Amino acid sequence: MIFWVWVFGLIYAGLLVFASLKSYKKNRSSEEFMMAGSNIGLTLGVLTFAAALFSTFTFLGMPDFFRINGVGAWIFLAVSDGAMVFLLLWFGYHIRNRVKGMEFRGVSGLISRCYENKLAGYVFFLSAFLFLIPYVGIQIQGIAIFMDAAFPGSFPAWGWSAGIVLIMLVYSEIGGLKAIIFSDAIQGLLLLGVIWIIGWACLSHFGGIGPMFEKVGAMQEDLLSTPGPQGLLTPQFLIASLIAILMIPVTQPQFTTRIVVMKSMKTMQLMAVSLGAFAILVILPTIFIGMYGADLYSEYGRDEFFANAFLYDQPDAVAALAIIGLIAAGLSTTNAQIFALGSELRGLLRGNENSIMRKTKIGIFVFSIIAFFFSIIVFDQLVLLARVSFAGTGIMGPMIILGILSDRKVSPAIIYFSLGGLLVFLSSLAGFIPDMYAGLRLDLLLFVSLGLVALISHLTGKKQQLVPPVKDR
Amino acid sequence: MEKKKLYWRICCVAAIGLCILTFTPLVIPQGIATPALGGVPYSLWTSFIITVLLVVLTYIGTRVHPGMQNEEEL
Repeated sequence: MIFWVWVFGLIYAGLLVFASLKSYKKNRSSEEFMMAGSNIGLTLGVLTFAAALFSTFTFLGMPDFFRINGVGAWIFLAVSDGAMVFLLLWFGYHIRNRVKGMEFRGVSGLISRCYENKLAGYVFFLSAFLFLIPYVGIQIQGIAIFMDAAFPGSFPAWGWSAGIVLIMLVYSEIGGLKAIIFSDAIQGLLLLGVIWIIGWACLSHFGGIGPMFEKVGAMQEDLLSTPGPQGLLTPQFLIASLIAILMIPVTQPQFTTRIVVMKSMKTMQLMAVSLGAFAILVILPTIFIGMYGADLYSEYGRDEFFANAFLYDQPDAVAALAIIGLIAAGLSTTNAQIFALGSELRGLLRGNENSIMRKTKIGIFVFSIIAFFFSIIVFDQLVLLARVSFAGTGIMGPMIILGILSDRKVSPAIIYFSLGGLLVFLSSLAGFIPDMYAGLRLDLLLFVSLGLVALISHLTGKKQQLVPPVKDR
Repeated sequence: MEKKKLYWRICCVAAIGLCILTFTPLVIPQGIATPALGGVPYSLWTSFIITVLLVVLTYIGTRVHPGMQNEEEL
């Protein structure tokens, strides 16, 4: 296998170096560095959005989620993604119209401007920081676990994590967002190819889709229906997950940035449709891998299942591709998230452009280091931590949608309510307060309450005369 | 233009309707895996169709969204 890892690894590294150098310009402006010149076409747009969205969370997390919770996992992610691409169409139109004629400096900067209140930007940045960093950390950890299984005893897990963070930093520093988008294109295709090769091998183990479900059903019938053997996938959990995933393009800055930097409205629309098709294609083989795990490794822990299904049970070349595919999946998502945090920080800074860029790059470095430490200390199911990340940032959804869509002068109350909602959600995660009230999940209650506050704020807001957007200073 | 507005609204209502439908016992009857289609459990094949329909609706949305006509590109 080592031979194949070197072969695929060198090809992959070569493509990354090529993408960085192709994106590198000596005297590039900060706009070119942070926003890729806002000129991304359809193919790159689809692949970068998909690569940022489908990470180790999909590659490793979803097979594990299917293995443990059964077929309802499809509703959790694929139906939610289908609804998300429809929302992307609607929200993408509005946000692109909103930023037309001004320099987009991240959601924090935009939302501060919409409310004419800096606190709005700070609250959004706080939520992005608090919920993206652990998510980045667990993805780095996922790669480290996998590498440790592939090369036992060669490096400690933290050594792999440090290496990944280092590659991410060097790479984004050289090429900026454009390099990240180019690498996403490579990684998106690689992810799709590898997940299908492994998925197909797992399906072949059963001899077809029908026999697969027949065998799994005979062993554990609960896997074939909701709420699944652990009782997790209840309608309430799935509805709250749908809302959290719907809010991804609105509240996760790496996605909002990608909507804005698309070349035109038309390419953004087609990107939404293609992304929906890509989602179905990527999630489908994770069912086969999950059912394979349920058949052979139902009693195993997460790490053993990953190591067996993706490495030991596969031919050497496929196992090597899985390693490279996983690194690609993790790297594309983590650098998109870390870079987006840097971009959000930039939107909040004022002063000389050179000084802002220097502080932004220092910020990206600091975020990476914090994510590295999280990768060593966090331990959770990939999918559930990702869901917490989506829900945590999703709390900001009503504030952002109101700020961008409302043509009225609205009360800043939603900013304080969103901050309050964030603190309440954090308190529940820390175990200080319960996460269920009158039989209802706290995250669902927060989404509904903040949505109502946003609606009331809009209805009671003063109508204002529309003025043409002012060029950003 | 008015027609496009109507079609877009129909798309929005259909998308919301599909999402709501997904969380009813019609798609996720608790603990029931039948009737299967080609061996695929009930909730999986029904929700798979819903996912495809949502993507199709998104495509139709790109054709009928009222704001896209004469849209000045960025």
